[in-house]
Amino acid sequence: MKALRIAAIVAVPFLLAALAIGFFLFEQQGGLAPYRIPKDSSRVVAADAETLKRGEYLARIGDCQACHTAPSGTPFAGGRGFASGYGMIYSSNLTPDREHGIGAWSVDEFAHAMRHGVSRRGPLYPVFPYEHFATLADADIDAIYIYLRSLPASANVPPANRLDFPASWRSALVLWRMLHYRPEPAPAANDDRGRYLVDGLGHCAMCHSTREPSGALATGGYLAGGRIPGSGWYAPPLDAKQLRRYSVEQLAGYLRSGASDAGAAYGPMAEVVYRSLQALSEDDALAMASYLKKVPARPRRDTEFTLLPEAPRQTVMGNGADIYKHHCADCHGNDGEGKNGQYPALRDAVATVAPDPINAVRMVLYGGFPAAMAHNPQPYSMPPFVQQLSPAEIAAVTNYVRETFGGQRSYLTPADVEAMHGIVLD
Amino acid sequence: MLYRLALLIFLVALAPHARAEAAADFGEHLAACAACHGKQGEGVQGAEYYPHLAGKPAGYLLEQLRGFRDGRRVSTQMMWYVRFADDAFLQSIADYYAALPPRTRSADTGAAQLTDERRHVAQNLVEHGDPAHDVPACSACHGANLAGLEPGVPALLGLPVDYVIAQFGAWREGVRNGAPPDCMHDVAGKIAADDIRAIAVYLSQQSNVDSLRPSPAGSFVPPKACGSLPHAETAK
Repeated sequence: MKALRIAAIVAVPFLLAALAIGFFLFEQQGGLAPYRIPKDSSRVVAADAETLKRGEYLARIGDCQACHTAPSGTPFAGGRGFASGYGMIYSSNLTPDREHGIGAWSVDEFAHAMRHGVSRRGPLYPVFPYEHFATLADADIDAIYIYLRSLPASANVPPANRLDFPASWRSALVLWRMLHYRPEPAPAANDDRGRYLVDGLGHCAMCHSTREPSGALATGGYLAGGRIPGSGWYAPPLDAKQLRRYSVEQLAGYLRSGASDAGAAYGPMAEVVYRSLQALSEDDALAMASYLKKVPARPRRDTEFTLLPEAPRQTVMGNGADIYKHHCADCHGNDGEGKNGQYPALRDAVATVAPDPINAVRMVLYGGFPAAMAHNPQPYSMPPFVQQLSPAEIAAVTNYVRETFGGQRSYLTPADVEAMHGIVLD
Repeated sequence: MLYRLALLIFLVALAPHARAEAAADFGEHLAACAACHGKQGEGVQGAEYYPHLAGKPAGYLLEQLRGFRDGRRVSTQMMWYVRFADDAFLQSIADYYAALPPRTRSADTGAAQLTDERRHVAQNLVEHGDPAHDVPACSACHGANLAGLEPGVPALLGLPVDYVIAQFGAWREGVRNGAPPDCMHDVAGKIAADDIRAIAVYLSQQSNVDSLRPSPAGSFVPPKACGSLPHAETAK
C-alpha cells in the first residue's frame, strides 16, 4: 500500500509533465481548430464562366490532376499511388460524386481541407501539400472548387492505403502533426505574385526542400534541395546561387518548356512541366522565375549522398576521359559546353554539380526524352548506355564528368551503378 | 515569266532534297530510339529482341507509341521514353520511321530452327490460317507478301523470334491491348503455344530482299474487324 503511494507520488509529476508537453505540442499544430470541419456551412460561390475558367487554370498550375489521377485512369478520380517511408498512399477522388468523391462537400469544407489538411475522413496524409495550400487566397480556393464541381462525377474508389503501423492508423497523424506541423499565419498581403505561386499552388518545396527522414521539412531546408522522398531523383536547390546561370526570362522559359541551353527537365520535373507548368501564363512564369532568383542560397549541408551505403568511398576515374571523348563529346562538346538548342552543356549542369549522383547515373544508364509539347515541340533525346558500357565504365565516365565539369568529388563505384539497374518509372 | 518558271523548276527540283535533309535532321532527335531500333530503324544485329521500325505504316507506329504512353501496351523502357510526349511529337516520330526504306535482311535467329514438319505447319498457318478454329491466315491481313497494309497493319518479315512470341503472350494475357474489337487478342487465344513458336521462327527467317513497302490502303480487305484501325477498311 505504502509502495503504491510512493509510486504515485513519483509518477504524478511525470504524467503532468507529459500532459503539459502534449498540450503544448497540440497547440503548436493549431489546437482544436483544424479538427472542426465546417460541415454545416451554407456559403455558396457563383459558378460563372470567368470563375470556372480561372479555377481550371489554377487547378492546372497547382498540378492537382497529376496526383489525383491513376495511370490511364479517369482524370481527378484518384488512385495514383505514392511511395512514402511509411508505405503506399493512394490519392483520393476529387470528382463531384457524392459518395466516392467530394460532391457532398461545401466550399468551406473544401477550403478547410486545403488549408488545414483535415477533411470529414479525418486528418490527411502530408503527401497532400496542405501546408502550401494554406497560403492560398480565398477567391482562388473558391475558383478551384467551382472547377472541380464542373467535372463529370466518377464513382471510382481508389485502392486502400497500404501503410505500416502506426501510420496505418489515421489518428496517428495527429501525433505526426504535433511533432512536425507548424501552421504559419498567411502573409498579410500577397504582394509578391512569384512567391505566392512558388510557395502556394506550385508547392515547389515538396520536392525541392531538404527533408528529414520523417518527411518533415528540415530546419533551414526551404528550397535547399535534396533526394525526393519516395523517389530515386535528386531535386536541386532553387536559389540565387544555383539559378545564376539563368536570366529571369530563360528560367521562365524553362518552367514552361522544360528545356533550356543549360539543361532539360527529366523524371518528375518533366512530368510537372508536361502536366502543369506548360500552362503557366507568361506573366506568372516570369513572376515565379524572378522570385526564385531572389531566394537566398542556404549553406550547403555536408550530407554525403550514397547509392550503396557500404561501398568504399574512393574515386574510380579510370578511363573516364577516353569514354567521354568517344561517347559523349560529339553532342556535349570536348569541354562540356554543349550545342546550343540541341544538347545541353554539362559544365555546371544540375546533375553535374549536385552532391547526389543519382540523376547523372540514371541519365547515363537510360537516357530519355525531355517533355514534348507546344513550348518544346521537338526535343532532342539522350541515348541509353546501359547496353553499351559496363557498370565500371559508367561509374568512370560519370565520375569524370562530375569532377571535370561540376567540381564535384564523385565516388561512384561499379556496384553503385549496378544497384541502379532497371528503369523505375518514378 | 521565264525567270519565274526557272525559279519554280529550281525549287521543285530542290524540294525532295530539302525533304530528305529535314528527315535526316529529325533523326538527330531520336538518339535514344536508335540504341535499340537502329539509326535507320533497321534494328540492331546480334542478340535481337527489338523490332525494326523502318517502313512500317505511320498509322501503326503512332498507335503503338500512344499505346505505350497511355498504358495500352506495357514496356517499361518505351514508357520511360514517351510518357511525356504529345501526339504531335509522336506523329513526327511515326512519320520519320515510316518514310525510311524497309529492312531487307531476315532476323538473326540464333539457335532457333524448325524441323521440316514444323516449318510446314507454320507456313500453312501463315498462308492459309486454321479455318476449323476460326484463325485467319497472317497473310489475309498483313498481305500475301507479309509486307503490311496501309495505314495500320505492320509488316511481319524478319521480326525477331522472341519479340513475336512475347507479343502473342501479351495479347493473350491482356498486356498488349488494341481498341475493341481487339483482333490480335482474338487470334492469339486460338493458336497453340507450340504453333506460335513455329510461326515466330518462320517469320523471323523471312527476308524482304526487294524492300517491299506496305500495300496501299484499300488494295485488299482484311477478313477481321480491328478496333485499332477505325480508319482502315475491314470486313464487318
